[in-house]
Amino acid sequence: MLQIKNLEVEVENKKIINSLNLSVGKGEFHMIMGPNGSGKSTLALTLMGHPNYKITNGKIEFDGRVINDIPVDERARMGIFLAFQHPEDIEGVKIIDYLRLLLEKVKSIEPAKALQIIPSKAREVWFSADMLSRYINVGFSGGERKRFEILQALLIKPKLLILDEPDSGVDIDSLSLISHKIRELYEQGTSILLITHYGRILEHVDPKIVRVHIMKDGHIVMSGKEELVEKIEKEGFKKVFEECGCNE
Amino acid sequence: MSELTVQDARSIIEGQIETLKKRNKEPEWMTKLRYKAMDAFFEAPHNDPIIKDPLDYIAKAEEEMYPEVKSLDELPPEMLALLDRLGIAEVEKKYIAGLAVQSDTSIVLNDFLKDWRKKGLIVESMEDAVRNYPILKDLFLKQFNPYESKLAAYHTAVWNGGIFLHVAQGLKVPMPLHLFFLIQNSAMAQAPHIIIHAEPNSEIHLIEGCTSPVLVRHSLHLDMTEAYIGEGADVKLSVLQNWPEYVHTRPMTRARIGKDAEFINTTVSLGPGKSNIANPKYWVDEGGYAELNGIILGQKDFYVDLGGEMNLDAPGARGLNASKSVIMDKSSVITRGIIRANAPKTKGHISCDALILNPEARMETYPGLISQVDDAELSHEAAIGKIREEELFYLMSRGLKEEEATQLIVKGFVNPLLKDIPLEFVVEIRKIIEMAVSGGM
Ligand SMILES: Nc1ncnc2c1ncn2[C@@H]1O[C@H](COP(=O)(O)OP(=O)(O)O)[C@@H](O)[C@H]1O
Ligand SMILES: [Mg+2]
Repeated sequence: MLQIKNLEVEVENKKIINSLNLSVGKGEFHMIMGPNGSGKSTLALTLMGHPNYKITNGKIEFDGRVINDIPVDERARMGIFLAFQHPEDIEGVKIIDYLRLLLEKVKSIEPAKALQIIPSKAREVWFSADMLSRYINVGFSGGERKRFEILQALLIKPKLLILDEPDSGVDIDSLSLISHKIRELYEQGTSILLITHYGRILEHVDPKIVRVHIMKDGHIVMSGKEELVEKIEKEGFKKVFEECGCNE
Repeated sequence: MSELTVQDARSIIEGQIETLKKRNKEPEWMTKLRYKAMDAFFEAPHNDPIIKDPLDYIAKAEEEMYPEVKSLDELPPEMLALLDRLGIAEVEKKYIAGLAVQSDTSIVLNDFLKDWRKKGLIVESMEDAVRNYPILKDLFLKQFNPYESKLAAYHTAVWNGGIFLHVAQGLKVPMPLHLFFLIQNSAMAQAPHIIIHAEPNSEIHLIEGCTSPVLVRHSLHLDMTEAYIGEGADVKLSVLQNWPEYVHTRPMTRARIGKDAEFINTTVSLGPGKSNIANPKYWVDEGGYAELNGIILGQKDFYVDLGGEMNLDAPGARGLNASKSVIMDKSSVITRGIIRANAPKTKGHISCDALILNPEARMETYPGLISQVDDAELSHEAAIGKIREEELFYLMSRGLKEEEATQLIVKGFVNPLLKDIPLEFVVEIRKIIEMAVSGGM
């Protein structure tokens, strides 16, 4: 489904990602871990097509099509969804108006139908009717922001869901709910690419299905299974990198 | 320069005054006022950057008595089509409430308004009102002086159309009253005069809509509004403008806001016209509150200059001047609000936000805060910018096209100022914004 080959990415003329290879098949669950600044968000934003992130080498293929030059909205309509690490505030735009438009334009669901679907999905992530008439992300707590990203993913049901630290800045109850919803999407057939610092987000996910990749300086230095998560949580990146000789 | 000499102009205006006087069977005081204003016209200063010579726009008043149109059904089809354009037909179905339509100089009232009249709500064409209500002698042109500008003088000399709205003491009108102006005659400077007289503790919301058929050329719309908001009264005046691109509009608004009274004046300029220059003035008494909200959609090469002077004249008076401009194409928008704190414990705020959608569009803002006392709280903020790339990316990353995302952001940007506009209009306003944004992309 997703194939990243020999990818090299620059931001403001600075090379952030280099010779990165990764392949995510249909119905697979991948996890990326790595220290701050290792390029995880850069990778996520590049996959989504952010104009500031320039691909200087390599290619990204999705469903057999090279998408290097395909604009963000078209990638979204092809089935890629990015739950942002820092979702944007959009002043004045009510959630309900936005979600209705989204379902109409992207999923061809007529507004009357959308008005039934949205509140019931919203309740699943603890968004009340009042919450739906607030402006997008304006004044939201950390947990609300991340749950709103999940709500949109639940409504859109993407083929590939990239989650950039869905667990950072959220309270313990939100974390558990988000973990639950990631599993739900996974079970419906969505492929998952989860960027995180903590194994906790796997609370409701069967750890056996997860493939783990460790990123360092814009590069995947190690891949493995669930044991890798435990090892990193116990020993920290520094020690793991020393052991593997990843530091040169 | 106009082709007309001063002599020609004098005789044309005189002819118009005589026609209006006869047609309206005006009381003598009114005719005297018109003549005084005609003299003023030749002496008053004129400094409009666009209308170089008002003589080019001299009105030709109709000779015959205006037709009696008793219900909306009797309106000519092209006028009904115009109402549609402002979204009125839909609204009318919903609010069988107050709808009065003014076609040049005649006015259409419905049964609803006839009922409310008994309770003390008067909505009458200004021509009729001047004849029927002696109180108008004390209200008409008491907040303006014809010598202050040529356009004020010209309006006063040849005003035609407009309404008198009177709300009796303590009367609370629960639903908005709609009034629509349609410019029908070509080459005519429409100069309606509006007086809002809200007696103490009354409540009303007047929605004024302005549009015109596509036929009119080089029209000048010179309306004048004088509002008297009595002690404790609560008045909202919402003006929706959707002028075609060749109409020049010079709305003149003044309001006296009484003790503990509230006046909320919102103008939505969807089509501000070729040029739109306004400088409303408000005087706010003890504990009173004035709000001037402006939404401006600058398009093509339109020129909009929105002033606004608030005088906080007694303790506890408050004022807010808030504008949101969406500036497209090669349009220019200037805002210059002024708030004067003339008494202690007053509070005023100016906020000016602009979203610039085209590098050739231009925005200038000049907030003015003047305090004559120590303990006034005056502040201003301005935010002028483009749509943030990150918010556009956020919406597009969910599959919205650039155009759809931009429309959503622009509608969201103006949204907070639409709080007093009935939903039916908001729906129409949003559609017009969507069209303008697509057209500008
Ligand atoms: N828009 C940007 N402009 C400049 N530098 C950036 C930008 N985005 C990321 N970087 C740089 O790229 C590196 C990787 O950042 P990021 O991808 O956010 O890492 P992570 O998500 O793993 O913490 C950092 O050195 C960061 O400063
Ligand atoms: Mg990051």
